[in-house]
Amino acid sequence: MSDGQTSPNAGTGQIVVSGLTKEYKNVRAVDNLSFTVQPGRVTGFLGPNGAGKTTTLRMLLNLVTPTAGEATIGGHRYADLADPLRTVGAVLEASSAHKGRTGINHLRVICAAAGLPRERADEALALVGLTPAAKRKFKGYSLGMKQRLGIAAAMLGNPRVLILDEPANGLDPEGIRWMRGFLKGLAAEGRTVLVSSHLLSEMQLLADDVVIIAAGKLVRQGPVEQVMSSMTHGSRIRVRTPQADELTAALREQSATVDTDGHGVLLVAGVDAPTVGRVALAAKVELHELTTERPDLEGVFLELTAGKAEIR
Amino acid sequence: MNLVRSELLKIRTTNTWWVFALITVPLWGLALLFNWLQTEALTSGNMGEVPADQADQVQAVSSADSLAANLYTNGQFFGLLIVMLLGIVVVTSEFFHQTVTTTFLTAPHRTAVMVAKLAAAGTLALLFWVGTTLLNLVFAPLILSATDVGAQLGSGAVWRAVALNGLAYLLWSVLGVGLGVLIRSQIGATVTGILLYLGGAIGAAIAIGLLAAKFGDWINQLQLLVPSLASSLMVSGADIPGNPPRWAGAAVLIGYAVVAGVIGVLTIRRRDIS
Ligand SMILES: Nc1ncnc2c1ncn2[C@@H]1O[C@H](COP(=O)(O)OP(=O)(O)O)[C@@H](O)[C@H]1O
Ligand SMILES: [Mg+2]
Repeated sequence: MSDGQTSPNAGTGQIVVSGLTKEYKNVRAVDNLSFTVQPGRVTGFLGPNGAGKTTTLRMLLNLVTPTAGEATIGGHRYADLADPLRTVGAVLEASSAHKGRTGINHLRVICAAAGLPRERADEALALVGLTPAAKRKFKGYSLGMKQRLGIAAAMLGNPRVLILDEPANGLDPEGIRWMRGFLKGLAAEGRTVLVSSHLLSEMQLLADDVVIIAAGKLVRQGPVEQVMSSMTHGSRIRVRTPQADELTAALREQSATVDTDGHGVLLVAGVDAPTVGRVALAAKVELHELTTERPDLEGVFLELTAGKAEIR
Repeated sequence: MNLVRSELLKIRTTNTWWVFALITVPLWGLALLFNWLQTEALTSGNMGEVPADQADQVQAVSSADSLAANLYTNGQFFGLLIVMLLGIVVVTSEFFHQTVTTTFLTAPHRTAVMVAKLAAAGTLALLFWVGTTLLNLVFAPLILSATDVGAQLGSGAVWRAVALNGLAYLLWSVLGVGLGVLIRSQIGATVTGILLYLGGAIGAAIAIGLLAAKFGDWINQLQLLVPSLASSLMVSGADIPGNPPRWAGAAVLIGYAVVAGVIGVLTIRRRDIS
């Protein structure tokens, strides 16, 4: 936008997605989706495969034209950014480098197009620890090195907004740990970091906020802890006892829900741990274990997206 | 300008350009051999029995200007094919290697990117033209002196043919870029391009010859509409009786290039990159 209008979000690096919709021939890949992403935090963009994550990110980056709705970064549509690479860095799925080009040349090509100084290519390579492979051709790169080169490309313009689509895919544990540290560091510097994933265990360690979608629709958005504790079926209590039948009967009298895993372990919901202990004492039932199981993000996620994640 | 620099750097940092150059050299040599033999045949009057109605045409292509123009634009037939393929690769390699996402993230204004690609492909095509023309300037005079035609380097018609040859190289690279946008698959676009070029040239020449025999000579004018025939017409050193004028060949080719370029740009502007 060159008309001098400044939106309230200009320069803050806030991402706003509003009413975004994409219809393909046979499927509504993204369905009236709205959410916001704040700077200074890592936001996990979660959803099962086919939920519409990639389509959403590509619409945000002007690669796919929305059927309806709009997405802005710092108040501007991507296509209207004066200097896109200095504002937004993106690492997307199905994005790669020419097999026959060296890593450093891949970055230099981008620098040339964006009007960035050539030295930025060397600096960005160093940033991701890829300097030793600078002059090697892309086809000789391992998966981890390819992923790092993608991040180096995204960092060329030193952008304040980072967008990554499934960056952990195919990385080994060491690579994932590196990525986690790197992204957390960027958010700590005040940048906006939006990371999509269908791997929830990874997000639990990385994300501050989550945006969960399924079948193209928003399911839940907010800080990780809040989303987890907002679960309708809060926590469960795990009880181990040699007198499972007696305890089950006693707990059901307190209108608790009791499931068994068949190995002498009861999974109790609807009452808290002290209540279970009291009921057991009153019924003279011996307890070998009594733990409160807080649902992990994985569980929350599966529950939230259950039934909506059918193959589309 | 940044975008053109980037596109040229893309070309420079891969093998494609010199592999194509290496392929061009033997094809150029083959063409030279062929044209040498043809020049000898035409100058020694060894054309065998020439039917009376074709005498004029043989006369025209045997003129010194025509012979010289033919040799100074030697290698055009395969050269144009090569630069068209380069134009195709400039676009399709982006899809093949999945670099198009990065390209459009770096420069969201797709029209500008496509114009830069056209400029880069055109620059490369002109370099190929310069290369083959330099070779021709070395070898053509040898053949022309050997056949007693003389180097003809003072002839305006010869230089006009050389310049139009450059235009043909430029335009064919544009056609290649357009084709690359329409057919994203590298193999698909390459095969289609080669078939259209060779099949178009040979098939159309035969078809037009047959039709002309049946319906009269005016059909010959139609060869103008076949891009590869239009470009060879463009560089003939003299107007050949019964064929369309040279400028018309140029006009038709420019028309095709403009259409290909515009369709290419409009298509890529709308396309979802996913
Ligand atoms: N270019 C396309 N044409 C048709 N359907 C598509 C296209 N891209 C994605 N889809 C469909 O849209 C849905 C969402 O896909 P995607 O955004 O890739 O999901 P995710 O990244 O969350 O796995 C899927 O059902 C997918 O098959
Ligand atoms: Mg995806």
